[in-house]
Amino acid sequence: MTDEAGADAKLVKMIVFAVGEQEYCIPILSVREIRGFEKTTALPFAPHYVCGAINLRGIILTVIDLAVYLNVQPQADNPRRVVIIVESRNGTVCGLLVDRVIDMADVNLSEIQAVAEEDSSLSGLVMIADRMIGVLRLEVVVGQLVGGMIS
Amino acid sequence: MSGDMDDILLVFFQECEEQLQELERGLSALSDGESGKETINAVFRAVHSVKGGAASFGLENLVRFAHVFESSLDGLRSGRVAPTPEIVKTFLKAMDVLSDLVAEAQGGATVDTGRIEESRAELQAIIGEGSGGAQPQQDDTVPADFTPVPVDFEPVMADFDFGDFGFDEEEAPAAASLVVTFSPHTAMYDRGDDARNLLIGLADVAVAHGGTSTVTCETAALPALAAMETEKSYLSWRVVLPAAVPEESVHAVFDWVSDVCDVTITRDGGSGPSGGESAPEAAAAPATPEPPVPEPSAPVAAPLEATPVAASPEPQKPAAPPSIADKIMAELPPAPTPAATAPIAAGNTTARRPVEQATIRVDLHRVDDLMDLVGELVIAQAALESIGQREDGGQQEMIKRIASMKTLTRDIQDAVMAVRAQPVRSVFQRMQRVVREACSMTSKDVVLTLEGEDTEVDRTLVEKLSDPLTHMLRNAVDHGIESAEARIAAGKSPTGQILLSAGHRSGRILITIKDDGGGINRERVLATAIKRGIIAPDAVLTDDEINNLIFAPGFSTAATVSDLSGRGVGMDVVKQAILGLGGRVTISSVEGQGTTFCLSLPLTLAVLDGMLIVAAGSTMVVPVSSVVETMMVNHKDIYMLPDGANVVSIRGACMPLIPLASELGLGGYGSGGLSEEDVILVVENESGARAALIVEDIRDQAQVVIKSIEKNYRQMSGVSAATILGDGSVSLILDVPALVANALGRIDTRPSDVRTGLAA
Repeated sequence: MTDEAGADAKLVKMIVFAVGEQEYCIPILSVREIRGFEKTTALPFAPHYVCGAINLRGIILTVIDLAVYLNVQPQADNPRRVVIIVESRNGTVCGLLVDRVIDMADVNLSEIQAVAEEDSSLSGLVMIADRMIGVLRLEVVVGQLVGGMIS
Repeated sequence: MSGDMDDILLVFFQECEEQLQELERGLSALSDGESGKETINAVFRAVHSVKGGAASFGLENLVRFAHVFESSLDGLRSGRVAPTPEIVKTFLKAMDVLSDLVAEAQGGATVDTGRIEESRAELQAIIGEGSGGAQPQQDDTVPADFTPVPVDFEPVMADFDFGDFGFDEEEAPAAASLVVTFSPHTAMYDRGDDARNLLIGLADVAVAHGGTSTVTCETAALPALAAMETEKSYLSWRVVLPAAVPEESVHAVFDWVSDVCDVTITRDGGSGPSGGESAPEAAAAPATPEPPVPEPSAPVAAPLEATPVAASPEPQKPAAPPSIADKIMAELPPAPTPAATAPIAAGNTTARRPVEQATIRVDLHRVDDLMDLVGELVIAQAALESIGQREDGGQQEMIKRIASMKTLTRDIQDAVMAVRAQPVRSVFQRMQRVVREACSMTSKDVVLTLEGEDTEVDRTLVEKLSDPLTHMLRNAVDHGIESAEARIAAGKSPTGQILLSAGHRSGRILITIKDDGGGINRERVLATAIKRGIIAPDAVLTDDEINNLIFAPGFSTAATVSDLSGRGVGMDVVKQAILGLGGRVTISSVEGQGTTFCLSLPLTLAVLDGMLIVAAGSTMVVPVSSVVETMMVNHKDIYMLPDGANVVSIRGACMPLIPLASELGLGGYGSGGLSEEDVILVVENESGARAALIVEDIRDQAQVVIKSIEKNYRQMSGVSAATILGDGSVSLILDVPALVANALGRIDTRPSDVRTGLAA
């Protein structure tokens, strides 16, 4: 109605996935691929939400268990668990372990309602087809993995 | 054109790099007293090539300096000057300036003109007596109109090699009076110079002074075609320049060739109007390449305007003399224009360009070896295929083939490594300069001796070694070597000695930097460390620990901050850089006798011989090179210390016992809980400190490919990298020295505590 072009410009394709009972989404352009969950190698001194490392065609990357990270109850005994391989803006690649991928959706950025402070991992909530979906701030999630030495 | 030019320029800079290395090598040989003809020639050639190349690209500064350098070296070559240590030192200094100028041309920092002038003056002083008094000024006054010459004419030189005689230059009559006659020796052409350039240079000089030049070619000495030796110089030229032209400018034109060319310059004051005699001959135009076989009787001629165009290889057609005489006059002034634009273009291309050397030179036989191996691999693969197609399955055969393929893979790996390997010479030789500069800044006299420059390492490593070594050598000169007075007082020679050596030791490269200076003053180091809050005042440290304090961030005992060192960042940075390469630094120091730094680095950053072990249920890799022995553990040999840690006594030697799983925070172990099946690995770090790792099992020994884990994850203490095993799973490579250091409670870990303490 009013300025459709402007509204279009703010539309971002998001991939929607479920972690436990909750649904979340991230921009689809940051997704590299989706693959089945396989055994990971435990990493010493890792934060509790890091499952471990996997080998993605020669690149070693860490997998984050989003259920642990977001502190939600994962679906029990779920064979459909998948790892979404994402690449953050600064080039860090990591995997997000989720319970299932649901679909894609166009999200109008102006419709995102902020729920938490700036540096939180959740940038806001958005309504898609009457479902409340959390929009993850990828940089925050991934950014915690790199930098700093743990001993 | 810019794309092509860029490529050529890149090649030029690569060549410069090589020539400079050659130069360094030659000069080092000279300073070692080896003044053979071949050495001197090599040095001369190196500078000459740089000069020649630079001239083609209009890199004025570089050309001018290289030229002076070359002239002085020529003095050496002709035996006029003896390579005394002072003179070699001057040459070394000049070489530093030269390499800086090359860097400048590559878009690096501008070189301080004072330095250039100083070095130039020194160079000229060397041959000062031999050459004319006017020489020193020439370079400064003339080049403005002189240097562009080689730029636009260079392309011609290529097709001019064979036709360096037989052209005939003629110009409309000049008003009067500076007559230059010159006859090049054959040696001049041998050297790659060309009479043509001289003529063009003279023409430019004439134009610059508002006139034109008249050139006559003296062909009297030219024998019959049959008798002509193709490589001999027969021709001489007579050039009449306008009166306004100062003699110095002419000298400058011949500056490069004065030793291989007879030149006479006379003021043709009152010998009548020169126009009169030369007008009839005003036939041919200057400077055009001639066909390979010249006809002495009928010199080929073409207008000068052809020269800028002369990039095209075809010689211009002979033209009728009188008709073009005027035309030449008209055409002459514009001639320099392309010359003027060329340097600008060249300047643009050189302007901003990352100086990343992305190519390597490889011995052909190494590539051939690799090729052979790849051929073998293809055959092996075909063999496997044929076995797969056999009816009976061929199990036995298959296993045999796979085993041979395994050796093949390993050979290929070695071959590829060999291709990437480079001698450390390039870095080591750069260090000579570092030491020289450090010496002149601290006014100490230090000789750097290099050993094992031929040791080969992966090229990425070679590049990354440069900075740490620079730091360490500067430190060695600044802090290690005492002042000459102190050295004499201590009964040493006033000249300090630093030895930089490289060698292989059990799959690693060992670089030692050894000075014969005062050694580390441990009391002072300790006092400073306490003062700066790096360690607690009541700490009791071993000598070794005190030595290692100099690697602590913020540590510096230097009373004043000098240009060289004393800011307390150097050694910390060195250590970080070496650790980053997977290496270690150890120090040993004897007070009054000197300090030795040992850098131990992995040979390659890509592959590692590893022992696959199991800890906390997951497979990990321990570098085989750090494993001393493996054994079953005997409970009787384990003692518990008051603080809860365990030590184990192995044949009388006590060492800390590290339960690997709990050390890595992977759980699964209670303190000291040791099951019967557990195995211990005795591991050792570079300085020989040992510890015993408790692991659950030893699986295998294999070559593993090192994969960085830090790109997508943070650094982990005790883990240096990761690898991918045959089944595709990720396995961690343990950082044994870090584990040992942690277990020993060494001070290496303390700096990081301090850092976090300060940050908080």
